[in-house]
Amino acid sequence: MKVIIVGGGEVGFHIAQRLSNESQDVVLIDKDPEKAARINEELDIQALVGSGTSPGMLERSGIMDADMLVAATDSDEANLIACMLARHLNPYLLKVARLRNPEYLEMKALLSQETLGIDHIINPESVMVETIQSLMQVPGASDVIDFVEGRVKLIGVTIRPNSPFAGKRLASFHGMEGKLLVGTIVRGNRVRIPHGDDTIQANDLVYVVARRDELRNVLELFGIKEEELKRVIIVGGGQTGRALAKALDGPRISTSLIDRSPSRCEELAESLQRVMVINGDGTDRDLLLEENVSNADFLVALTGDEESNVLISLLAKGLGVRRTITRINKLSYIPLVSSIGIDTIVSSRLSAIRAILQHIRKGKIISVAPLKDEHAEAIEAEALTTSKIVNTPLSRIKFPKGALIGAVVRGEEIIIPRGDTQIQAGDRLIIFASRKAVSALEKLLTVKLDYF
Amino acid sequence: MHLKPVLNFIGILVLFLGLAMTLPLGVSLAYGDGGARALTISMVIAALSGLLLFLSTRTREELQLSHRDGLAVVTLGWVTAGLVGTLPYLLSGAVQGFTNAYFESISGFTTTGASILSNIEGLPQGILLWRSLTQWFGGMGIIVLSVAILPLLGIGGMQLYKAEVPSPVVDKLKPRISETAKTLWKVYILITALEILLLVGGGMSLFESACHALCTMPTGGFSPMNASIAHYNSAYVDGVIMVFMLIAGINFSLHYRFIKGEASAFGKDTEFHVFIALFGIFTLTVTLDLYGSVYQGFSEAFRYSSFQVGSILTTTGFATADFDRWPAYSKQILLFCMFIGGMAGSTGGGIKVMRVILLVKHAYREVLRVIHPHAVISVKLGKRPVPNEVLNSVWGFLLLFVGLFIAAALIMAAMGLDMITAASSVAASIGNIGPGLGSVGPNLNYLGIPEAGKWVLIFCMLLGRLEVYTVIVLLAPEYWRR
Repeated sequence: MKVIIVGGGEVGFHIAQRLSNESQDVVLIDKDPEKAARINEELDIQALVGSGTSPGMLERSGIMDADMLVAATDSDEANLIACMLARHLNPYLLKVARLRNPEYLEMKALLSQETLGIDHIINPESVMVETIQSLMQVPGASDVIDFVEGRVKLIGVTIRPNSPFAGKRLASFHGMEGKLLVGTIVRGNRVRIPHGDDTIQANDLVYVVARRDELRNVLELFGIKEEELKRVIIVGGGQTGRALAKALDGPRISTSLIDRSPSRCEELAESLQRVMVINGDGTDRDLLLEENVSNADFLVALTGDEESNVLISLLAKGLGVRRTITRINKLSYIPLVSSIGIDTIVSSRLSAIRAILQHIRKGKIISVAPLKDEHAEAIEAEALTTSKIVNTPLSRIKFPKGALIGAVVRGEEIIIPRGDTQIQAGDRLIIFASRKAVSALEKLLTVKLDYF
Repeated sequence: MHLKPVLNFIGILVLFLGLAMTLPLGVSLAYGDGGARALTISMVIAALSGLLLFLSTRTREELQLSHRDGLAVVTLGWVTAGLVGTLPYLLSGAVQGFTNAYFESISGFTTTGASILSNIEGLPQGILLWRSLTQWFGGMGIIVLSVAILPLLGIGGMQLYKAEVPSPVVDKLKPRISETAKTLWKVYILITALEILLLVGGGMSLFESACHALCTMPTGGFSPMNASIAHYNSAYVDGVIMVFMLIAGINFSLHYRFIKGEASAFGKDTEFHVFIALFGIFTLTVTLDLYGSVYQGFSEAFRYSSFQVGSILTTTGFATADFDRWPAYSKQILLFCMFIGGMAGSTGGGIKVMRVILLVKHAYREVLRVIHPHAVISVKLGKRPVPNEVLNSVWGFLLLFVGLFIAAALIMAAMGLDMITAASSVAASIGNIGPGLGSVGPNLNYLGIPEAGKWVLIFCMLLGRLEVYTVIVLLAPEYWRR
């Protein structure tokens, strides 16, 4: 597949990196020559200098034989123009645009019809806000991903040394069958899609599939109690900070939003209803105390500066906040910060990838979520009649190594599978797969007649 | 100030008022009530002097009204309209003395409804209709009316409109100000006509229905009956007039949007919610106060209290009961209502519900600031932020309003009036309500107020109708500096 990416910012860069890792042909267009040069060096892709809104530039990038265009500049207008031009140059192209303005998002229908011909709209900020919100719903989890309209939850939980699971073999989890399933184990930097003989150890991060209605029980097994969310402090009133504050704005949750710029604060105060907008520096201890940080359920550090975010979270933890969520973009920081007590991390990179992945997977793939630094994925897919996995007990299917079915959703029913479970055509599956297994899995899911 | 364009505009206004007298003249002729001669002479004097003023100040250059001129036009326009309004009263002998006539006329144009007449029913029908018409013109604004019908105004339109419209913020319904003014007048005429129909349907004569409707929609409160609405002693009439008083106390832009088919126009408006809530709470507490003490039946207590609260809150001033004899608590509530008034953009007077909301929200913001010293809080109405300049002007308005009220009440008391009469007459004038308490209560009138006191009240009525700033500005030395 050949993909053209317009805009080499954070989102464009991460998407390019991801696609090139999956050995796709990627051409990236960016205006800034230095950025293009850097991307050319760092990634195995072709970076061109120019404007994505120039028809000539798009032609030179080889749009005529491309399969997909991702318009991911910071400007909504530029992205719209790029898609419009691309549609003109190559009508068969799949077009994905990153749009931030919520008004455009509401007009999805207009955008994707004849007018501009955009096939998918991605909005990494809103993905990040959704991620943060689901994390808040399940305090104690370091990652929460919704599947099948939220009916199935995938939660990442760190095993504490005193947990009843520590040191146990998966196969010894009697009585749990059909209730929960451990899909991925992360130990240090290593990610594993487990078998029955794998053991869970203290400090492992495990990804568990559970039904929404069973979530409370499952969390209790891991020693996590659900508590009502009452007080949230957000530091950083950028795009994401504002979107999160807007999502939390209401009578149920008391939210404070701290930003350093007085003029930005004015803007925020005007657009938010009940959120208390505070002008000040989030790293200021006195300010945090003034806002009663010790009584807050969550502090979310979302400033543009990740070093500050780490400091703010550590400071708030020291002052007694119950949990923190920290935005970090540099992948290399992630193992580092978890060792100093930063528990939950969101990254714009993972959000961007989460937003784009489902549009580039083949077959009947509904949604895809990268797990832990993208070493593994959780995939939601529909089982096709032509696929080999249908109507055979799971234990007899030759599944790719490093892939595992986490849940089967059949109509209203949600099945946590066992060896004798059979998949029927039309079922929705939630599958864990290590990165290496993804392409084999894709084949398995999309097998057609010519395969025979 | 550019004298020529200002006088030119006032000339047109006088001419227009003169022409408007044809309507009462026609009624007078039809009834043969003996007022026709006085109305004919008034009409000729007004129309001729207006025409003369207009022609003599005409210039070849295009009319250019500056911001300052606009303020002068509005204040002088109202003062002059008051003068024109005295002509039928004086010439027909209905009112004795210039002060009394001017009081009645300004009370009409400012939609106050305070009267010096003791035997209203004895006057010619033509004069009574003129009295109601002054209120009807004054309600939507004589200047706005001129803006609506005179395309020659052009650029100065917005300034004039802003100086006269009773609201801290101007709602532009249409791209052009003259179109906005026209639209509002259309809505106004439509609702007035509807009220006439409903009153006639209830058995009231066409003439009386018209007089009442012309005084309900501007929240004026003149009635052609000595006993005001109590004359009819009919629950139907009370009900219809009460509903239309409330309609008149609501922002006319909301009516416009509702008529245009925006069904949620009222539902989304915070000021409307507060207005209705205030009406409901005051009615309920007054009903409970009157139930058992003044009225034996609950429904009776509710009927009179709701009418009176509606009448005073919207600053109309119609009466179905002598509320001066009510218990102290109910009187206090009514006095409180005098200060609040109707919604911004309505024809009601007083401080306006919108300003009250903004004042409360602004005060609450300061409370929040004490709790969160670094908070940036924007005061919002509905979901829209209110600029700080508007908030400041609202505080200034409150200070001037209350300050002028205190000063005027002191002057009235110095003239020997008792405290209740002094305070309530000023409150009823500056709030454009009409009847007050004590010796200016609903069953009495303003005839007994000393001569000088009447002029103080005239000034208060103008202040109230033109929202203080427009008048006060002309008294500021800075205004006259070149």
